[in-house]
Amino acid sequence: MPQREFDVVIGPTGTVEVTVKGYKGKGCLEAVKMFEKVVGELRSEQKTNEFYEPEELVRYQIDQKH
Amino acid sequence: MSAVCVLAPVVIVAWPAFSAAVIAAATSLGYEMASEKSLQKAELEEVKPESVRLEIENSEVVTNQLGRDQRILVSREGVTITFSRDARGRASLCVTGEGYDTETLRTMGEELSQAVVQQYVYQKIMDEMRSRGFTVVEETTTEDRSIRLKVRHWEN
Repeated sequence: MPQREFDVVIGPTGTVEVTVKGYKGKGCLEAVKMFEKVVGELRSEQKTNEFYEPEELVRYQIDQKH
Repeated sequence: MSAVCVLAPVVIVAWPAFSAAVIAAATSLGYEMASEKSLQKAELEEVKPESVRLEIENSEVVTNQLGRDQRILVSREGVTITFSRDARGRASLCVTGEGYDTETLRTMGEELSQAVVQQYVYQKIMDEMRSRGFTVVEETTTEDRSIRLKVRHWEN
């Protein structure tokens, strides 16, 4: 079960720093957009290596019954 | 880790949520709710305390026609801070206190207005996280009054 996590620091002036963990690819951008919608203007963004990893795929295994 | 981002707050808020943020922030800084009467009494006695007017940046208090004259007053150590919505719809505050210089009043006003914005942002983030099924697993307030939250969600 994948785990999503945010470390949020709300500074004394209301400025917010968010560390997004557990997202890969576009999912990460959506998480950042969510905080933009809730808090306000995006001042800076730093993508880490995990951001460039392929998005998670759900793999199904189907057994054929004869 | 996927990304780190920094966001500046934009306060667009209805009057009830704004006054709730003012009360929470004011209480945490040792202020008490004050009544209009205390200000009127000072005016009647022709006391002319120093006064400083400040504005909360990037703010808009949404209200209906009836709510335009709403004000909220808090006081501490003889200083009264009145929050209201100005003609352009911005959240503003007036800091008054007899025997205080304008610099001290400005510092007190800025400290409280920043705490109000912080409280507003905190409440918005908490509401959003809860509505998305996230759980707050850790919450601490640091010495510089920053609020640190660790929120987590397990995908099915």
